[in-house]
Amino acid sequence: MRQFLILSLKEIGDTFFSKTALLFLVLVSFIVGYGFFTAVGLYSRQSMAAVNNLLYARGFEPVPGVFGPTYGGLFLLFSLFLPFVIIQLISLEKEQNTFSILTQLPFSFKDILTAKIIASFLFLLFVLVLTVPCIILWRIYGGHIPYNELFLLISGYLLYGMFVVSVSFFSASLFDSSANASIFSIFLIITSWVIDFGKNMNISQALSSISGWTVTRMLKFFENGILSFTAAMYFVLVCSVFFVLTYIFLRFDLKSKWKLISLTVILFLFAMFIISNITLNIDMTESLRNSFPPGISRALKRVPDLEIDVYMEKADSRFEDYQRSFLKKLDLVKNDVKVRMMTGDALKKNYGLFVYKINGKSGKTYSNSENAIFPIIFGLGGISVGHGNKESNFSGYPLVVKGKLSMIRYTYYLLIPMGMLLAFAVKKIKLRRRFEK
Amino acid sequence: MKIKNITKRYFRTVALNKVSFEVSEGSITGVIGPNGAGKSTLLDIISGFQNPDEGEIYFNDRPLTLMLFKEKKKVLSYMPEHLEIYPDYYVDDFIRFLHGATRYIDTDLIDILNLAKVKNKKIRYLSKGYHQRLKLFFALSNTKKIMVLDEPFDGFDPIQLIDILEFIRSENRKGRTFILSIHQLYDAEKICSHYVLLNQGKVVTQGSIQTLKQTFGDDSSSLEQIFMRAIE
Repeated sequence: MRQFLILSLKEIGDTFFSKTALLFLVLVSFIVGYGFFTAVGLYSRQSMAAVNNLLYARGFEPVPGVFGPTYGGLFLLFSLFLPFVIIQLISLEKEQNTFSILTQLPFSFKDILTAKIIASFLFLLFVLVLTVPCIILWRIYGGHIPYNELFLLISGYLLYGMFVVSVSFFSASLFDSSANASIFSIFLIITSWVIDFGKNMNISQALSSISGWTVTRMLKFFENGILSFTAAMYFVLVCSVFFVLTYIFLRFDLKSKWKLISLTVILFLFAMFIISNITLNIDMTESLRNSFPPGISRALKRVPDLEIDVYMEKADSRFEDYQRSFLKKLDLVKNDVKVRMMTGDALKKNYGLFVYKINGKSGKTYSNSENAIFPIIFGLGGISVGHGNKESNFSGYPLVVKGKLSMIRYTYYLLIPMGMLLAFAVKKIKLRRRFEK
Repeated sequence: MKIKNITKRYFRTVALNKVSFEVSEGSITGVIGPNGAGKSTLLDIISGFQNPDEGEIYFNDRPLTLMLFKEKKKVLSYMPEHLEIYPDYYVDDFIRFLHGATRYIDTDLIDILNLAKVKNKKIRYLSKGYHQRLKLFFALSNTKKIMVLDEPFDGFDPIQLIDILEFIRSENRKGRTFILSIHQLYDAEKICSHYVLLNQGKVVTQGSIQTLKQTFGDDSSSLEQIFMRAIE
């Protein structure tokens, strides 16, 4: 245990006190600061009209309004820059052949990889700690903090960060050069964006099916305030499979690597199949913006097999609105609904129509509003809606911040970067003095 | 240790072709040959850092390929030729790390290798000779029985070399077995008790210096002359 601690400390030192890490952390400070500054400014300006308008005020929620855009900067930083920090933990060992040192010491391959994973995890935690001043400042401004939703958002970015770490480790285990490994890991990460883009462009049905399982799509659950068992397990599984593959590729003493790789991939696909069949989603938002009113939700659960034929292009803004305000909420209550996007002549002939089918009976409407949809569905299913179908009494949290925004600039453009530079310099000076003694 | 018919290919290139020889306990075996002869590949395979395509290595009559790496590393210490010890660490930092990890430190070895003189230096700024000393320190500062050292004398000046050779001899007298890859035949002649001459991945000849002299020359022949004749 003591030996593992020594190894872990070495890895933590290597991760935190590299020049790449320092530059990355300074960049995090700038981007998070800029994101928060812009988000608070916009939220504040828009809140002016909402302070005396109860209906308008209901649309003001701190997570989508302020913290979402603030943490959104981390998505870009993790995707494009984090691999450069993480990859060197393995690539440098390979380039300098220092793996031959570590492996000959009383550390197993598992110990070495675990210590590197722990160091990376702590680094990610530190990155997230850098966002804590945003929460404190928001509180100082008098803002409301929905802790559950915010914790979910931060957890999502931590999981996404671990995904980037696992991909970076995997790439570093494949390539001898850190440049190749960096490019490859960014390629793997961006593939997820490409699939999403392909889906939005309606390129192929296969791409649309895969797009439901991309990392970015899974991160959306956390961003939207939905605690999804599938999404959380998805991240755990994907990270695990990349870490296991890294372990296999690093084991230079293994003879039959391909058997182990095949077994890992098969087990991963099996596990993915299992989690894809488990749906457990909880709306963590205070406004319950991802859910229908409780009475409607209860009634929807009693509706037998529901099919929806949509005569509309996916890129149509009306369909996007329908998806956002109806289908996503429906999915939280009832995940076995079959939605068919119609094509060909039928699409042209009936463009704009939604057809709902239950037990051979069907009803149609051109409206994408809940008020028009629910009577059709409940009518077809012969279900009466009980009590509690009114909208929630969430009043919203508009906030007009007067002045004081310069605190954000001082914190993120001056204090944090200077603090980190200072810590880096002190560490170097301390080391030198220790040896001079 | 018995090395039997070891073959290693990299795509169509045959790096080692049915290499066989024996290393007796307590010997200093020199694997000698020109650059590209396959010396480093052979030492990598002996140390378990690469797997052979064919052949087997027996350690105390037990196939080495069936031994787990964690078992191998208990008896065998390997110093690869291309090893750049953590450049941003201080020498003392690295020694402390080794000490912490292994709970063993050979203080005599620090003196012999004169590492105390550079303990405050960053490894990046060490001269080639001192970097080589640090590599040797890593490989030798343990209680393992077999030392596999790839080009251990590179970068040493003649005076430093005398110290190192004497240290290896004294460790050998304590019962440690050495397998050294050396391309400087003059250096090899000073230390090895047994030679394996490799050329283009094949064992040209092997044996003690006396055996080699009898086969490829006379009493006055140098190892270099023997090697040239053996290749011819």
